[in-house]
Amino acid sequence: MNGKRILAVAHKEWREIIRDRLFFSLAFMVPAFLMILLGYGISLDVENIPFVVMDQDGSRMSREYTYRFIDSRYFDFKGYAHDDHTLKMLLTDNKVRAAIIIPEHFQKDLLMGRPTHVQTLIDGTFPFRAQTTKGYVTAISTAMSRELLAEYLARTRGISHERAWGIVQPVKLAVRYLYNQSVKSIWSVAPKLIMVIMMLSPPFLTALGVVREKESGSIYNIYASTVKRGEFLLGKLIPYVAISTMNLFILWLMATKLYGAPFKGQIIFFVLSSILYVVCTTGIGLVASLFVRTQIAAIIVTIILTMIPAVLYSGCLIPIPSLSGQAQTIAHMLPAMYYTNIVMGSFLKGVGLKSLWPNVLILAGYATVLFTIGFSLFSKRPRS
Amino acid sequence: MNRKHKTFLSRTGIWLLRLRVMTVKELLQLSRDFILIFFVVYAFTLDIYSAGAGVTLQLNKAAMVFHDNDRSFASRELIGRFQEPHFSNKGEISHPSEGVRLLDRDRAMIVLDIPPRFQECLLMGEPANVQFQVDATNSVLGFLAASYGERIVGEFGMEAGLKRLGMSTGNVAAPMIKDDHRVWFNPNQNDAWFMSITELLNIITVFSILLPAAAMVREKERGTIEQLLVSPLTPFQIMVPKMLAMTLVILAGTAVSLFAVMEPLFHVPIKGSVLLFFGVTTLYILNTAGLGLFAATIARNLAQVGMLTVLIVAPMIFLSGAWTPPEAMAPWMRLFMYISPLHYYIDSCLGILLKGAGLEILWDSVLIMVLLGGAVFGVGMWRFRRQFE
Repeated sequence: MNGKRILAVAHKEWREIIRDRLFFSLAFMVPAFLMILLGYGISLDVENIPFVVMDQDGSRMSREYTYRFIDSRYFDFKGYAHDDHTLKMLLTDNKVRAAIIIPEHFQKDLLMGRPTHVQTLIDGTFPFRAQTTKGYVTAISTAMSRELLAEYLARTRGISHERAWGIVQPVKLAVRYLYNQSVKSIWSVAPKLIMVIMMLSPPFLTALGVVREKESGSIYNIYASTVKRGEFLLGKLIPYVAISTMNLFILWLMATKLYGAPFKGQIIFFVLSSILYVVCTTGIGLVASLFVRTQIAAIIVTIILTMIPAVLYSGCLIPIPSLSGQAQTIAHMLPAMYYTNIVMGSFLKGVGLKSLWPNVLILAGYATVLFTIGFSLFSKRPRS
Repeated sequence: MNRKHKTFLSRTGIWLLRLRVMTVKELLQLSRDFILIFFVVYAFTLDIYSAGAGVTLQLNKAAMVFHDNDRSFASRELIGRFQEPHFSNKGEISHPSEGVRLLDRDRAMIVLDIPPRFQECLLMGEPANVQFQVDATNSVLGFLAASYGERIVGEFGMEAGLKRLGMSTGNVAAPMIKDDHRVWFNPNQNDAWFMSITELLNIITVFSILLPAAAMVREKERGTIEQLLVSPLTPFQIMVPKMLAMTLVILAGTAVSLFAVMEPLFHVPIKGSVLLFFGVTTLYILNTAGLGLFAATIARNLAQVGMLTVLIVAPMIFLSGAWTPPEAMAPWMRLFMYISPLHYYIDSCLGILLKGAGLEILWDSVLIMVLLGGAVFGVGMWRFRRQFE
């Protein structure tokens, strides 16, 4: 390893990047742009669920029940429907995601102290949303049931209202949300976006770097030069890691200043492990580029290997324990999952090296493996 | 007259022949890139399989530990109710600080803390407070966990209270609203259906933007475009075969994943018309291919195409309304979604495959896709022509 030659390769690569102005500006614009777009766009809260009501009772209590949905921020009232056919059409056409059917004798049954059955039709095409909608409906129904029951007990048993309440709800669940007290979606999304974007952009930059030389033939200059293969690979990587580190800093600023996500961890630990992560993702691009012959293949391979796994198998939207066996294996094979732990630990939990060290160790191992693969795949004496 | 007719025929013949030759050329070129083909096949089969088989967006086996200060019949009964599929009981901890440590290390998501004298309170009719600490780093799951927890504790409490009065919840003589859910279109809320379909649509998006754009820029970068330009081909004949060839490849891939992965392995019901599904897919591919060609006219080399594609594809996929509910988006953000063809495509595909919707319901989405596609394609063509004048 000769430092001077590494620097020379890095310098050459840097010049090439800078002189391609569109590429150079895209290298910085793409991450920032994605951060803005996705930060404002990804909201996982299920809110404003459009719904209709089919009120077959038309009584005071059925209206009261309906108003509980209308007043809730989770539902968006789209009007009353009058027959089954309209309901079906509205659900099929995506105009509403839920329909509540209040039966006849709703009020009469309740006043007589009998249970009544309300039917909810839920659009199941988005299973996660259906699940959440069910939860909301049950919560509203239960709250109203409880009040009715307490009233009924007070009336029939001749006990005070407070006592009736104590009977209906003797146990209270005191929920404490840790790390994200106000359960703000953006607090948990913004740090993870750093992980997602840094998984997307560096491999791209790098993957094209080596294949471009292969496809255009300028790689023969390298084959014919005194530069050793390790030196070439290191020199190639340095500019891309540098650009990505700068991007990382910009994204960190955006997460904390623009989105107001709290950063509770140790800054030095975060910076160092982030650079390690960037080296990993850059390495993925490097390996992909050594593996293929054409630039299109390089782009496709990196997109398939990074973009979708970065979201599905990283713990970004779905926690790792909820994945099935095979998907968990994929998750453990990618660096994204480990960095998600680091990012979330550093931002929201305020923990440092002491509890996150296994993740750092794995990332370091990952970087080494990638570089070794790259080193053995790259040869200055190509067979064909 | 006859002769004129003949020349017209031979002209269209030549025109079609050129189109065919160029399309075959693109297909050949593609088929010779072995690694590319390998990844196309991988994407349409294994990738979709793993997304469908492995990913669920629901609260599933949230790791819970408990700290029981009462050790009574009632406390054990309550703890026993936190069960799979939503919760998974990871055992007891001896001290609250251990709970915090487990939460910090992601070993647990929830710590349930039952106060001393819990059973006594219940029997005396005094209010009891059960503590529930939730890791809310993933806000949605934190919220879901809390709402399931509240439901379990609420039911438990109501039963206990009524039992004291000698009533039971099964008793008919209690005024309660019971809601019967009926989930339509996907009664068991099978995530595999949804995940495999959206994954397929994402893959289609990636390929239909990237493949034609790359095919175009590659010619520019290598200079082979000059050869094409001095040939008698019109810009239309250069550009359209690229889109045709890639559309064929993508449609074949779609058929494979629909009939070889999604239907046999996940039992995705194909309720609507298969023909309509492929029709809409073709429309969508041409639509996004137009976007790709537009990017190709801006870019001079493949590196730029790659970055531009990320810039176009990532927002399309993330903001399509598939992974995150569109109703909860900021209003100005929804604007982006409304101009993205993927949004309409997802609605149409889920409609056709799961709901059995036909054109009479989907006509508005299809119409918007035609309009959007026409506009993009027109601009792309115009830019492409201008480049070489």
